[in-house]
This record gives sequence, structure tokens and C-alpha cells, in this order.
Amino acid sequence: MEVRTFKRVAITGLGTITSIGKSVSEFKQGLFSGKCGIGPVSLFDISGFSCRKAAQIKNWDVESFLEPREARRVSRCDALGLMAAGEALADSGLNLDQCDRSNIGVIMGGGAGGMLSWEEYRRAAWSGKTRPRPSLLLPMAQCSVTDLIAKQYRVTGTRSTVSTACSSSATSIGYGFDLIRSGVHNIVIAGGSEALSELTFAGFNSLRQIDPEYCRPFDKNRKGLSLGEGAAVFVLEDYEHAEQRRAKIYAEVLSYAINSDAYHMTSPHPNATGMRKVMTTALERANIGVDEVDYINTHGTGTKINDRTETLAVKEAFGQERSGQLSLSSVKSMVGHCLGASGAIEAAATVLAIINQLVPPTIHLDTPDNECDLDYTPNHSRPRDIRIALSNSFAFGGNNTCLVFAKAGKYAGL
Amino acid sequence: MTDITITGIGIVSALGIGREAFWKNCRNAMSGIKKINAFDTSSLRSNVAAYVEDFEPKQFISPRVYRRMSRISQMAVASSIEAITDSGIDLKSVNRDRIAVIMGTAYGSSSHVEEFYVSLLKDGPRGAQPFFFPETVPNALASHIAMFHGITGPNTTFCQNEISAETAVLYARTLLLTNQADVVLVGGADELTEILYSCYNVFLNRAKAKDGEPVRPRSGDGLVLGEGAGMLVMERQSFALDRGAAIYGTLKSGVVSGGTAPVGHYETEGKQMARAMTLAAEQADVEPEEIDHISVSANFSGELDRMEFHQLSSFFENRKTELMVTPLKYLIGDFGGAGILRAAAILLSLRHQVPLPAVKADSLLGESQYPLLWHTLQEGSPQTALMTSSTFGGGSTSMIFVRE
Repeated sequence: MEVRTFKRVAITGLGTITSIGKSVSEFKQGLFSGKCGIGPVSLFDISGFSCRKAAQIKNWDVESFLEPREARRVSRCDALGLMAAGEALADSGLNLDQCDRSNIGVIMGGGAGGMLSWEEYRRAAWSGKTRPRPSLLLPMAQCSVTDLIAKQYRVTGTRSTVSTACSSSATSIGYGFDLIRSGVHNIVIAGGSEALSELTFAGFNSLRQIDPEYCRPFDKNRKGLSLGEGAAVFVLEDYEHAEQRRAKIYAEVLSYAINSDAYHMTSPHPNATGMRKVMTTALERANIGVDEVDYINTHGTGTKINDRTETLAVKEAFGQERSGQLSLSSVKSMVGHCLGASGAIEAAATVLAIINQLVPPTIHLDTPDNECDLDYTPNHSRPRDIRIALSNSFAFGGNNTCLVFAKAGKYAGL
Repeated sequence: MTDITITGIGIVSALGIGREAFWKNCRNAMSGIKKINAFDTSSLRSNVAAYVEDFEPKQFISPRVYRRMSRISQMAVASSIEAITDSGIDLKSVNRDRIAVIMGTAYGSSSHVEEFYVSLLKDGPRGAQPFFFPETVPNALASHIAMFHGITGPNTTFCQNEISAETAVLYARTLLLTNQADVVLVGGADELTEILYSCYNVFLNRAKAKDGEPVRPRSGDGLVLGEGAGMLVMERQSFALDRGAAIYGTLKSGVVSGGTAPVGHYETEGKQMARAMTLAAEQADVEPEEIDHISVSANFSGELDRMEFHQLSSFFENRKTELMVTPLKYLIGDFGGAGILRAAAILLSLRHQVPLPAVKADSLLGESQYPLLWHTLQEGSPQTALMTSSTFGGGSTSMIFVRE
């Protein structure tokens, strides 16, 4: 790749599946009405856990989406990704038969990938009662969903899979942005998918980071996160290419940044250094001033430390006055923490906020916290002129990602 | 065009701990593939792998720090220490916000996934061991490297099966070309565990070895797994020259493409591998005749090795009968991070001006009844190398390295 061009990057297709909606239109309805997708888990035995709720996608399984023969070879995580990719491509209006498929990349992000399938294999092997099906191991590789999407649509451009826990799919959108901006591809399918699994459920339980009921981001009485699952996929496209084919352009990706706290595997830096810098760097790369930003879709997990630290980071990045004028919200209050898919799902929510000029709410936010004293849009969505919005994702290991989106048409980027 | 240079190398491998040991064994075509003693393989199809037997984390990292890490993180951090030292970068005097850590790993710490899940199966939810959980994320190793050195720039991890490290290199190149970083530590790592080995059982090479006996797997008999960690320090040529760094070589071009293959298989015809090679040569402005070294990703699996042979024969059609290639995975085994070790071997060859050992390309077909014959040359002047890689699921990468 040689960077000769600085192309603008348009979003021309969206696909989502979450606990509050199995399509973008359902997701949008749930998002702005403050629907809670968090409830009892039925995917695996949760009887021994003290916390038993998560944002599981109900009335949906792999078999309901794929032919039985195919369903045996893909994981729940893969199927979620395939479904969101299918919706995004259909939404984009692209006729792939008229596209150079070698100029279309696929960049996906994930956390635990096909862990649920691996667990089924491992549990059967452990019990010794039944011989586990070896095909359960095929989706074990994180890149399985990326390969399946590429295979399904016979696209042969750049193919990569990002795995940085909770920031994976935000970074995958960032990489997709790089590939278009620098002229490597004119279309990139980017996003992430994640399915609930015993491993992650037990893991966050063992770290005592799960709220037994539902997460309450930024609320004084918050007790932790709620896990979730889902997928979101974007069709990113060279802006000129999209305009030439008269595609609808939902929003523009202006920039992104990634960095590391280099501090702790499970805790953010208490001074919020990495979180602040990732927002500042992303804005600098987009040549955007803090006064032009109207909305931040926060990482907002509902843990004591994340919400306090993210609030501090926003104040330091935007200044006391401007941070008080911003609208913020945490979509995790509705769809849970979808780990590897959360970055893309929350990016989709951010784009929907821009399209509809409506700030999604943070639900379950009833008791203000002195340490979280910004406007998190409690419980009800609110109309607002949103020119530019950020979407934050902060992961285990100190991996921070910030995406910058703008209303279509207005901003020319760098 | 901005040239991306490599100024540091760190290695933990079955061919040696440290780049000098690795280089010595590599140039002499010593094999790191042996009978596995680290875990029980009695019920499995194979018992051989390129396992890193003599790695001692305490030689690199204090016990207080390495005890919190999985084996893969320990190997990755150790290789990063060597690479940074080799590059001559003084981390205290540079802006560490402008240094990136980009890793490629197929599975991350499968040992900690297994330990955590088994603790859950054995003792139930209340007995699940929280100590193991943070290391189950594949980005743990990149995070440990960042924490160990205090590197706060871009940090991410790619998991793309056998081309995980190659995709990391190509993203690292993107970061440098788009000025998102001045220096990138780019690495690849994987650890071999009993659970991972058994998961691969149906794909494993049929080779079975006894203690102390040399192992001679055959191409076509199934892949041979390996493990290890490798790290490169990459930077823009101008940045490297400004600080007076010694340059191993230049990454002139790199392409990743995706073939459409069923999960668990390689792209059958290798069209995308061929496309990646062609594009990489075009981008580097290099003709096939100018390439004097070819590193292939052949791993003893018939599907991949045959595909590579046919595509290379086509790409280098003018020297079909004398085509020599270096299938380094025949010595270091196959794993997601192997691409860094293969790149390191090329770069060491360019630095020392000693060709890498090679075999006749048709050896990849596995049709010969004779043992594989490695040609080790002590003289030569390698200038331009092509490194091709392909993976399960159909992805392919090609890169061109040239002598500075």
C-alpha cells in the first residue's frame, strides 16, 4: 500500500442484531425507546452463578438462520456476524456482481469468537459420556466469521480479524477506514460479532464485575456490567464512489485513534490518561475542535471505575465547560456489554443518533453520582442537533479506541 | 514512496532462544521439530511438534512480573526485550505515545482458556479461578508488552489463523505509512498446549517419533504445529536514518487477499495467493527475475504445499526447473506467529549476506521417496526476497523485502 490519497469514507450500509432488535429498524426502535434487552440467560446452565442475567438474543438460534447442514459448521457468533453482514450489504444497495470483488475488504472484530461451540466440545469431552463432534472446533479461530463473510459474498480484498476484547470491532472499523482513506479499497465490510459464552460469563462473574440485576451506567448505585451478545456490520465506502452510484450515505467516518493505557490488564488508568488521549488524538486526526462535537457514545460499562474514569477523561479532553454541554449515553444499559461486538454495535447506535438527530438514552440511570456529573441522557432519548459524534471503546489490557463520525455531507475530513 | 525498514529483531523459537541462536540453526537447516515431552500425545495421530523446550522466562523478566503472564505472553515479552535492545531505541528518550505494539496470534493463550474453563467444570461457578481469566483474551500479550515497556501508542492484535503475524505486519505498515506511529513493535506468537494440539488432531502429520530420534515428516502427511514468539521493530526509513539505526532491510510492499475456502481448508487453486504475489511485486516495482529468495508457508499439509508449488511455478515460470524455496515451517512448525520468524530469517539473511537454506520447489509435492534435501549455502548476496503465506479459510499475504 502506498498512501497517495486521502479519500473520504462514507457509511452506506448498516446491519445489526442485538437483544433489543434483530434488524437495524428494530434496533433503532428499541434504542430510542429505551428498551432493555437484559434478562435471564437460557443459552447455558447458569444455576450456579450468583448473577444470572445478560442481554441474550431471544427466539433466535443458528438453525433459524442457516440451513441445518451449514448450521452444524458455524458458531452462534459466526451466524450473528453473517446475519448482520447480510443486512448491511442489502442495505447498501451494492450489486456485488457489478463490483470488483477483489476491491472489497472484510475486517471483523471479536472477543471470544466461537467459544460457545468450543465449550460444547470441551464439556462433552470432559464428561466422557458422549463423543464430541469435531466440527464444533472449526469456529474456534477468531477469524472464522471474517472468512465466512468473505466466502458468502466471494469478496477477496484485504481480510483481517481484530481481537482486542471490548474494543475489537471499533478498531476493525478504524482499519476499514484506513483502507479506504488510503485508496487500498473502495469498499470495506467492517464490524464485529460476539455470542454469550460460559467462559466470559464465568470470567466476569469471578471478577465480581457483573450487576446481579441489570447494569446502571453512571448511576450512583451501579454494581457492574451486564454481558450481552450481538453483531453490527458497516459497509464503508469511498465517499465519491458512493456519490457516483447515488447511494444513500448515512454518515461519514472522519477518523479514529487507538492507544494503550500500558497500565493494568483489567483496570483503566486512574488518571484516565489513555482514554483522554485517544479522544484527543482522534479529534486531531479529523481536524475537529471540541466545540464541533455534540454527542459521545460512551464505553459506559456500569462498573464503578470505568464510568468514573471515562467521565474524568471526557472532562479533560473537552474541558469543563464544553463537557458540560455535551450529550452522552451508554447503549450498554440496553444491549449489555457485547464485548468484541460492542464497539461496532455502539458505533451503529452513534450513526443512528446522527441520522435521526436523536440522542439515545442511558436507561436505569435514576440516582446521580457526584463523580459522574455529565449529561448522560437519563432514561429518555432527546432530540439534538448532532454534527459530530464520538464512539468510545475501552478494553481489557488497556486497549482504547475512539471513532469519529459526522453528519453526511457537511464535513470534508482532513 | 515511503520505505518501511526493520531495525530490530527478537526471537523465542524451537530453533533457538535469541536471534543469534535462531540464525545459526536456521542457516544450517537444523530442525526444531521433535517428539513432544511437554504433554501426553498417546491418544493422538501425531506426537511431534516444534515445541520451545528451553525457554526460561526468568532470564528476561522478573518473577513478580512473569508470574502474572501466560507462557505465550512471557515469550512475547521476552522477544520484545531483545528486539528493542537490538534496535538501539532508547525508550526513555522517545515519545512512547508514538510507538505502537501490534501482535498477531492465532489463539492467544489457549492454556489459560483451558485452565479457566476446567476450573469452572471441576468446581462450578464459585470455583472458577479469576487469575486465569484476564489472560484468555488474545490481546493479553500485546498489553503485557505495552505495560512492560510503558509503550502507550497504538496497540492491537490480529487473529487470522496462520497469517496472524503477517496481517499484523501489514497493519503496522499502514500505521507507519499513515503517520499514526513513528515506530512499531510488530510481533507474532502462539503457545502449543495439549488442548490446542488435540483440537488439530485430524489435521496433524502422521509422523510419530521416539525419544532422541530425528523426525522426518513428509509433505502431504499433515501439518506439523509449532510455537514461539518473534518481534520486529519497524520504522520509516527517514526516522531510522535520523536516529542512526542499523537497518536489516526494507519491507517494500505487502498485500493481503482473501480466497474463498471452506473453514479448515486452504484455497484449493491458490488464485488469491497468486494475486497477492503479483500485486506485491508490482507495488515493489520488482520483476520475478529480480527475486533471489522465496520463503513459502508450506507446512507439510498436502493442500497448502501443492498449491504453493503450482502458483510459484507459474509466477516464476522462467526458472521452473531450478526453483528453490525455503519452507521454514518445515523447521519451526506452523503457528499463527510464524510469519514473524520467517520474516526475521529473511532479514538476518539480508544483513549477513548469507542465503537461507532452501529445497527444490518440487519437494513441496511430497512425492519423493528420499528424505528432504536442504541446500545450505554459505556464500551469496541475497538482495530481494518474496515471502508468501496462506492460511486455513483462504487468506493469503505476500511481502517483498529488500536489502538496504
